[in-house]
Amino acid sequence: MFGKRSLNDLIDDLKKDEHIAHWHEMKEEPASTVPFPKSMDDRIIDALRKRGIEALYTHQGSSFQAVMDRKNIVAVTPTASGKTLCYNLPVVQRILTKPESRALYLFPTKALAQDQKTDMNTFIDQLDVNINSYTYDGDTPANIRQIVRKAGHIVITNPDMLHSAILPHHPKWISLFENLETVVIDELHTYRGVFGSHVANVIRRLKRICRYYGSEPTFICTSATIANPKELSSELIGEKVELIDNNGAPKGKKHFVMYNPPVVNKQLNIRKKAMSVVNDIAATFLKERIQTIVFSRSRVSVEIILSHLQELVKNELQRKSIRGYRGGYLPKQRREIEQSLRNGETIGVVSTNALELGVDIGQLQVCVMNGYPGSVASSWQQAGRAGRRKDESVVIMVANSSPIDQYIFQHPEFFFEGSPETARINKDNLIILVDHLKCAAYELPFEKGSTFDGVEVEEILEYLTEERVLHHQRNKWFWMNDAFPAHNISLRSAAQENVVIIDQTKVEKHRVIGEMDTFSAMTLLHDEAIYLHEGTQYQVEYLDWDEKKAFVREVDVEYYTDANLAVQLKVLDVDMEKQLGNGTLEYGDMMVTAMATIFKKIKLESFENIGSGPIHLPEQELHTNGVSLSFHPEQMERFDKKVVEQLLLGVAHVVQHVACVRVMCDKNDLHAVPEVKAIHSEKPTVYLYDRYPGGIGLSESVYKQMENILQEAKNYIEGCPCEEGCPSCIGIAGATEGNMKTTVKQLINSCLTNTGRG
Amino acid sequence: MSIKSKLQRMKTHLKAEDTHDGLVEKLEDSPPVLVFADSDRELAEKWKKHGFDPFSFGDQISYRKRSFYPWKNSAEKRDIETTYKLWDEYSHEHPLSCKDVPLHRMLFFDTETTGLSTGAGNTIFLIGYARVLKEGIEVIQHLLGDPSSEGAFLYGFLQDFHEEDYLVSYNGKAFDWPQVRSRHTFVRDQVPRLPAFGHIDLLHAARRLWKHELPSCRLSIVEKEKLGIFRSNDTPGSMAPILYYEYLQEEDPEHLLGIIEHNNQDVRSLISLFVAISNRIFFQSQSPFSQMEHIQIGNWLEQTGNLEGAKGHYITASNYDDKDSGDAFYRLGLLLKKMGDVADAKKSFTKCVQISPFCHIDAYIELAKLAEHQEKDYLLAHAYARKAKQGLKGSQRLTKKQTDLLSAVKKRVERLEKKLG
Repeated sequence: MFGKRSLNDLIDDLKKDEHIAHWHEMKEEPASTVPFPKSMDDRIIDALRKRGIEALYTHQGSSFQAVMDRKNIVAVTPTASGKTLCYNLPVVQRILTKPESRALYLFPTKALAQDQKTDMNTFIDQLDVNINSYTYDGDTPANIRQIVRKAGHIVITNPDMLHSAILPHHPKWISLFENLETVVIDELHTYRGVFGSHVANVIRRLKRICRYYGSEPTFICTSATIANPKELSSELIGEKVELIDNNGAPKGKKHFVMYNPPVVNKQLNIRKKAMSVVNDIAATFLKERIQTIVFSRSRVSVEIILSHLQELVKNELQRKSIRGYRGGYLPKQRREIEQSLRNGETIGVVSTNALELGVDIGQLQVCVMNGYPGSVASSWQQAGRAGRRKDESVVIMVANSSPIDQYIFQHPEFFFEGSPETARINKDNLIILVDHLKCAAYELPFEKGSTFDGVEVEEILEYLTEERVLHHQRNKWFWMNDAFPAHNISLRSAAQENVVIIDQTKVEKHRVIGEMDTFSAMTLLHDEAIYLHEGTQYQVEYLDWDEKKAFVREVDVEYYTDANLAVQLKVLDVDMEKQLGNGTLEYGDMMVTAMATIFKKIKLESFENIGSGPIHLPEQELHTNGVSLSFHPEQMERFDKKVVEQLLLGVAHVVQHVACVRVMCDKNDLHAVPEVKAIHSEKPTVYLYDRYPGGIGLSESVYKQMENILQEAKNYIEGCPCEEGCPSCIGIAGATEGNMKTTVKQLINSCLTNTGRG
Repeated sequence: MSIKSKLQRMKTHLKAEDTHDGLVEKLEDSPPVLVFADSDRELAEKWKKHGFDPFSFGDQISYRKRSFYPWKNSAEKRDIETTYKLWDEYSHEHPLSCKDVPLHRMLFFDTETTGLSTGAGNTIFLIGYARVLKEGIEVIQHLLGDPSSEGAFLYGFLQDFHEEDYLVSYNGKAFDWPQVRSRHTFVRDQVPRLPAFGHIDLLHAARRLWKHELPSCRLSIVEKEKLGIFRSNDTPGSMAPILYYEYLQEEDPEHLLGIIEHNNQDVRSLISLFVAISNRIFFQSQSPFSQMEHIQIGNWLEQTGNLEGAKGHYITASNYDDKDSGDAFYRLGLLLKKMGDVADAKKSFTKCVQISPFCHIDAYIELAKLAEHQEKDYLLAHAYARKAKQGLKGSQRLTKKQTDLLSAVKKRVERLEKKLG
């Protein structure tokens, strides 16, 4: 006899599970509100009352007041706290006061922009006034575009459109730029790294055009919780910004559970696959018809979990009541899924981070994450999907075996005691800056003595003149080239091309299964390489380096390939330097050259070397910023070269992982390379460098935080349950000589304490 | 490290903008020339030699050239005036109609730009237009001496204009004129407002008439194939951007002479083109036009409400013994039906199916309709409908439209069978 069990019963059961690594309970909080501001237009108040809103949450009130005082703001708000009103209220107020005034909304994705339009139009209908709000993106039909340009009070778009379609055509947008009073930047925290650095320059261009047409807009940003919203927003817009973080939205009681699957291989410290645990946990809730959302990182894993769940609960629920949601679904299908989640027809949804951003799906009761989503900010965004304003909710994060996941689980305080993650951009990265200067010069000629939002650019303009992109005449630089620069510059991708991976297993149906940066491709996609993709083995049949295509075919072999990459780092210029214990940390310009030499075929079970071959690929060069951490040579004297290399690899592995968490970036953005004897210092050295030409500010941030990073790296190794090192901590299993784990720890420790030998 | 040396080092990471590799190499061979503002006078002297008169506007200078081409013979003048007169007498609306516009107010117009995109960084450096005057054709060209003189350039151009001027261009509606408008916004505080001109775009007309027979409707191809104009040593318009940069670098007008001549020829060709297309509409020619031209013009006149005119073109087209005769008869049939002439419509459709039995399924359907509704001859209607069905079934692969047609035909056949009992 099965009685229907409530969420509370299930929570109680879960509490008894021995694999719970951490259980955190968040108390419920009542709403904190302020009355409608006196200056607010009566029509707005009436419209809000129609929605059943009788007062503003504190953060909404503060935002309104600050914007009315013409201050730039960044409002930090969790999911479902009514953040849209933080910008919609002041924007509408301005339009009601001055009907010519215009606003520009920037959302990181098209889907969010569509959502916002729907939301805005509902609000406008309730207001019963004549305000035109339109989305402007690649899908906007040509005949509508003209209307948007002339008559749109609120233009809702994304940074890419602003960059390539609006700014270069500004003479067609006069009525927008002459009257632009407010710029809204939603989901600010997504503008970091390369993307953020690009967008910051797009904003510089926007401000330049506004100044030309005589407007000076206020910026309203909203962000998920990160450590430095104020810093990031003022970097991004190049203006002073006021932080609004007095969130007044009510919260229900919430349980945050960290679930670490059991170890199944003691030596290698490998745990049960997170995905199967996720399936079981989600099914438990779904069987009781409790609305649950499951987050997973890749599109493929979403599909796998979805089919498992549909199978697991097929007796209790209809297939259709559990849905997938990811990029690649058609917009119409997405809208339908969102709708059915809101009205409760859909009980479960499995999603990539596509649902992390502010798409309106109402609030669910349970959120299960397949692995750490990559940043604390994303985790909170995803966790925010569970938790109605009054009811209790539960969030369960299931760890993978990966070092980052395990690190997080060892340090739950990371989550709950404020967020240590900082989002970085480097808008003065030369490559990015030059790209956008070209666009800016295309939009308006540069005058001698003028700056690019405060940056002196004459030298670059002269360089571009020499390159015959600009023409200098009468103290002005004019664009003189038949290219359209914005088309060659993508805000989202790194400067270098990626290698596209094409599966030609089925002759009649070649398909692209992924892409990889050229640096990694040298070692992973060379001819004859065995390439693993979502658990399937492929052999690379031909790498077309010039066309940047790798043709692969599915195979079933008993070996994998391992390529040697000869990486050389040259420190070109040291900008900063400091002593860390017995070690030295330097930051500066670096040149990385890499060449793939040979590859080995290694048998899967025995790790025997069963063959090898040469790789013929050209040398790659990368000029970037990086840090070098060099150790005192004495410490290494007792080991032979091979062991030193292994030790440094271990240090590099753990430091890289901790650093990536700290500076909020992907492992691919910040590379780590050891060198037994560095060219510039002749010492054993570990380098960390930005994997983007010119650097995007990651290693600079690493330089500043290195003491903390090393301390955490040390703690992390100590906390790892393995004995002599495992893939989760120092990246090497089964030490060859002595206890690697202890030695790596000692090495790191030597940079934390000064024993007078340095 | 200085920014410049960093840039040199990172050069491989920076994207090059050059799209004309061959020419760029040539450019790099020549030594860089320094540009001084003082050289204005010197440059003006150089332009004068090529017939361009400098005029100043504030501290800016722009250049203007007038060329005049007297009538070569009386026929040339007569052709234009006849065309103009025919339009003046034409009693229907038509996109090419220049009724009520004085002939000398028609401005055959073209621009040359520094790029092909339509964004803010694309500059117009040459505007040319031709007018028909009593003694011949006048061509005026305005040249942007340097990018900082855009105010003078557009001012000079606007000064020449008259509120009543009527533009005739080739793709000007989509490209040249929006570009003029965009450039105008940059100097709108310095120069007069841009009037709203009437505008005839001959590209639209050319596409209508010739897209089926010409590989492309580029002006150079239309000129060669339809106007019999052969240019020798022409500088193609696509070279304009790179030539202008070369001119700016070296301050040598010689670089632009080819493109200036090209522009001059273009605007005069527009006059011939206007006449040529109008002639086709008004049957003004000694030598016959092609069957397809008559069909397309018929279609155009039909759409713009001149049914009698359309009928004339369709009948002419149907008298040709050419591959599109079936089509001509079919269209003629439809038009006659629309005009209420059922008997002649039927004759037309019958001709159509005789000429090309299975190319015009629609003609069978029309015949079936006429037989069923007008003549009440169900047996005949049934026979035609079955022909249509047979024809459709004979096709290798059906398009969506054909599939719909087939099911409609099937229904018709069934209905007729029911009526026949």
